[in-house]
Amino acid sequence: MSLEVDRVTKRFGHVTALDRLEFAVPRGAIFGFLGANGAGKTTTMRICLGILEADEGAVRWNGAPSTELSRSTWGYLPEERGLYPRLPVLDQLVYFAQLYGAPADRARSEAMRWLVRFRIPEYANRRAEELSKGNQQKVQFIAAILHEPDVLLMDEPFTGLDPVNLALLREAFLELRDQGRTVVFSTHQMELAEAMCESVAIVDRGRLVAGGPIRDLKRASGRRIVRIGLNGTAGTGWLDTLPGVIVRSSGVDRTELELTDGIEPAAVLAAAVANGSTVTHFELDEPSLETLFIDHVGRPADDGERTLAS
Amino acid sequence: MARSDPLLPNAAIVAQREYRDRVRSRLYLVSTVILAVLALGVALAPIAARYLDSRSVTQLAIVSSDAALAERAVGVVDALLNNPPQGVDEATWQKPFQLGVVGDPTRAEAGLAKGSYAGVIRIERQDDGRLHVTFRTPGVADATRAQLIGFAAIGLAVLDWTANLPDDAQLDPFQAPQFDLESSTASTAEGRPVSQQEIASRGFVGTVFIVLMFLSILIYGMWVATGVAAEKSSRVMELMISAASPRQLVIGKVAGIGGAGLTQYVAIAVPALLALALQDRIAQVLLGPGGVAGAPITGLTGQLLLAYGTFFLLGFTLYAFVYAAVGSFVNRPDDLQTLALPLSLLAMVGYLGALPILLTGGGGGIARLMSFLPPFSPFAMLARLMVGHVPPWEVALSLVLLVSSIVIVAAAAIRIYSAGVLLYGQRPGLRDFVAAATRIR
Repeated sequence: MSLEVDRVTKRFGHVTALDRLEFAVPRGAIFGFLGANGAGKTTTMRICLGILEADEGAVRWNGAPSTELSRSTWGYLPEERGLYPRLPVLDQLVYFAQLYGAPADRARSEAMRWLVRFRIPEYANRRAEELSKGNQQKVQFIAAILHEPDVLLMDEPFTGLDPVNLALLREAFLELRDQGRTVVFSTHQMELAEAMCESVAIVDRGRLVAGGPIRDLKRASGRRIVRIGLNGTAGTGWLDTLPGVIVRSSGVDRTELELTDGIEPAAVLAAAVANGSTVTHFELDEPSLETLFIDHVGRPADDGERTLAS
Repeated sequence: MARSDPLLPNAAIVAQREYRDRVRSRLYLVSTVILAVLALGVALAPIAARYLDSRSVTQLAIVSSDAALAERAVGVVDALLNNPPQGVDEATWQKPFQLGVVGDPTRAEAGLAKGSYAGVIRIERQDDGRLHVTFRTPGVADATRAQLIGFAAIGLAVLDWTANLPDDAQLDPFQAPQFDLESSTASTAEGRPVSQQEIASRGFVGTVFIVLMFLSILIYGMWVATGVAAEKSSRVMELMISAASPRQLVIGKVAGIGGAGLTQYVAIAVPALLALALQDRIAQVLLGPGGVAGAPITGLTGQLLLAYGTFFLLGFTLYAFVYAAVGSFVNRPDDLQTLALPLSLLAMVGYLGALPILLTGGGGGIARLMSFLPPFSPFAMLARLMVGHVPPWEVALSLVLLVSSIVIVAAAAIRIYSAGVLLYGQRPGLRDFVAAATRIR
């Protein structure tokens, strides 16, 4: 019972947008689909939806090819946000749900429930153009889920949301997961993906460069991170001089270090004590998803604007 | 295997939304009311003209050196020009022409120059006894009036001649003859001769129909194109295309917007056409029996109306799909104007090709050919049907070709629509578009 993207290849002329892309998402999971612009995320989602046809490979849900599935299997939030500007919010939510086969009455009551939950019930009968961008985004999210799809494909769902709305959307994601729905979302925000996803796929130029449960990916990286807090006249500059230690970032009261092979965390602690510093914090951790992403792709997720025909 | 989405119910849901959106808009309601009132005004204008005509009295001066001759002329001209229509109460009916004898020719000429008289009828007896009648008017003479005065001249001559007959001559008083105009080359329909009035009426109605079809295709076709382009500019298209198939969306859109257009069209055209068809009855109610002057629409059969409805609907559908495809090419409604122009030229060729058919009563080989070629056939075949007899097989062939072309154009429009979504945000050339359209399942 899972979503399988099975060795999918898609070419646009001479450009290979997807190159034997392969990953699987278990039913009822929240899955992060990570990649820089032009990595092939939108193309993959469009192939899942049946808008585009794969040149090779297949997408399957519960073993059935996506081309044979009903449209209502999927709920889609495209990266290009759009609503009918002059249509009242509630009317367009019911309209989209009806197209997916939901009865109008039920869609209307469900839409109102979600509008209340997202704290915008007063906009139900207002035109979409009267809403702020963040509120429009919430309406689009509701449009994607009203027909109760099995799989949600969300292209950059958190982009542009303020912290309050972001928290509301996160809660909604978790609720949908608890209902047994499978959520696949793409994002540039690695902290979000790390906080919400059990598993991720990292794609670069149409290829899967890393994938699986985040914990496994971190462990497999073999990298060790130490976060240390120091008080004392010696400061933190000396940490850079320790053999086998790389300072990744320096903060006001924390410094993040990466330990290379051959050096143990205890050696760092001992060096600090020997330097006369008071250790206020000492933490051994795994690398962040952002670090893993950079390791695999060679640049941060929001860097690089390669745009494909997708 | 590609997913096969049934056309319904989604096409109907899309059509319903598109229709409701448009007919509920204030602009639609206001424009419908204004256009309906305007059309009704145009249809009723002839009645207003008749009313004004019935209220005005035209002054004519009769000048002759022979007073008896002048008085006799007043009687004859009066009988011909002031002939009361059937059914009017002669006691209350106001004569449209007032005739007066003016003794001084110079005064009559001065009155004509000043505009006091609409015409001067000068009657002189020549040396050989023959009467010489001159009708002087400023500008070009009204043909009917000149004809009647010509009759009056003959009548006057007859009267003048009878006045000189011996007293015991047993002759009845002079009566103006009845006059009809007939053509030896009159058209026939199903063996029945078609009157000149009917030919003129059908030509007139045909012209109105063709003009209405042309305007409807341009205006409502642009609605379809703008609707598609607006979905792209508001970026809602990608959401739509994941919820429904391009086929459901394009057909629903054409049906919904087309339906809204047709509703407006019916709201404008039906009252106006009814006013035209019932013009004599309306005139009779408003102006009395004197206001009736021959029905402007005759010979409009149910078959012709059915033909009009059929060719109008099919023609509109064909162009609406083309406009939907054109809307898919652009990213913003503003960019439509450039692409819409060549398309309106295509419709204009059909429109201009149909007008000579209506004017000449049939047209030649090119007109016949155009009545089969789909972009032009709705105009040309309708025009042929309006003014003459067309063999049933020709109508059937034209319809088959038209319906086939709609199927082909609709399929192409659906592909272009899908390609338009995939190339959103880019500025693709024609080649990119064709490539995108061909790779869509």
